[in-house]
Amino acid sequence: MSTTSQGQTDPSKRNVILYSIAALVSLIGIADALYLTIQHVTGQSVRCTITSGCEEVLSSQYAAIRGYPLALVGAIAYFTVFTLSTLAAFGYKLVGKLMTVLVLLMFLTTLWLIYLQAFVIRHFCQFCLLSALVTTVLTVLALLASRKQA
Amino acid sequence: MKRILPIVIILVVLGSALGAAWYMKRTVTDKPGATGTTGAPAGPSPVVNAAPGAQPVHFRGGESAAVVIEEFGDFQCPPCHDLYPILKGLESEYGSKLKVIFREFPLYPNHAHALHAARAAEAAGLQGKFFEMHDLLYENQTQWKDMFDVRPTYEDYAKRIPGLDIEKWKKDQNSDAVEQRIFLDGNRAHSMDVKGTPTVFLNGTEIPFEQLNPEGLKNALKQAFAKAGQ
Repeated sequence: MSTTSQGQTDPSKRNVILYSIAALVSLIGIADALYLTIQHVTGQSVRCTITSGCEEVLSSQYAAIRGYPLALVGAIAYFTVFTLSTLAAFGYKLVGKLMTVLVLLMFLTTLWLIYLQAFVIRHFCQFCLLSALVTTVLTVLALLASRKQA
Repeated sequence: MKRILPIVIILVVLGSALGAAWYMKRTVTDKPGATGTTGAPAGPSPVVNAAPGAQPVHFRGGESAAVVIEEFGDFQCPPCHDLYPILKGLESEYGSKLKVIFREFPLYPNHAHALHAARAAEAAGLQGKFFEMHDLLYENQTQWKDMFDVRPTYEDYAKRIPGLDIEKWKKDQNSDAVEQRIFLDGNRAHSMDVKGTPTVFLNGTEIPFEQLNPEGLKNALKQAFAKAGQ
C-alpha cells in the first residue's frame, strides 16, 4: 500500500471489493433494522411470512433496552459499519481494523440473540434471522479483508 | 475528490435512511383523524367523536371512576397476554378509583383463533361472565394459540366458569348479539385510529406502546389521578 494523501492509503483491489461488498450488505442490515424500529416505535405487530414467531420475539422483553428498541441499536450499528467500510474502501487508515472489531462485537451479539430465540423465547423472527445472516456475511468479509491487511 | 467522495456517499445514505424512516413512520401513523403517533413519547391528544362501541361495556373497577383505562385487545396477541397481568395488578391496586374497559379488536386472519376467542368471551359476557372467560383465555393463551381446533379447549374453559349455561354459551357464540358487539367495538377502534393490539387509552388519550409496562402505566396513572384531583 502506498500513501496517497494525509490519512489515506491505496488499499489493494481485493480489499476495495471486500469493503464495497460489506458496505452494500450493511445497507440490507440498515433497511431491516429501520423497518423493525419503525414497527416497534409505532406499536405495529410485525407479521412473519416464513417463520411464525415475529410477534413473540419482537414483543419480548429482549426487544428493547431501557425502552429503546434493540432494532434501533442495530440500525445505528449497521450504519456505522457502512460508514467504516466505505471509508476503508477509499483507503482511510485504521477504519478497516475498527470495522473488524465492531463487526465481531455484532457477531457475538447475534449469537446471543439467536440463543435467546432458540432456547428462551422458543420462536424465530425472520427479520432477526435476516439480520443475523447480514452480520455473519459482514464478519466473513471483515475477517477476509483484515487477513489481507496483515 | 477521493477524500470527499466517501463522505458524500455516507451522507447520501444517511439522508436516504432518515428519509425512508420518516416515510415509513408517516405511512403507518398519518391518517385523517389520527390520535397522534402511537409510539411518540409525548403529545398525543384525546380522541374526539369516537364511535360508542358495544354497550354495555365490559369493565372492572369503579363504574363512575374519574380515571378510565380502555384497552383494545386480541386474545391471541402475545403483547396483550403480557399486558393482562399488568392491568390486573393495577385493577387490584386502585380498586374502585379506576375503571378498566376491554374492547374487542381481534386481528383475524393474522391470528387464526382471535375471532373465535372474541366470540367465546362475548358469549360468556351475555351471561355476565365476560371477564371470567377473558381471564381464562389470556392465562392459557400459550396453550391454545398454536392449536388447530380451539373449540374443545374453549368449551373446557367455559365449563370451569361457575354458573355458565354451556348450551346457551355454545349457541350464543354465533349469535347476532355477539357478532354485533365485536363489530361495534371494531367500529369504535377504527374511529379512534386503533391499528394494532394492545392499544390502550387513558381517559381518551392513547398511551404510547412503549409505556405499556408496569412503570410506564403507573406513571401515566399517577398523572391522571393528579389531574383528576385524587
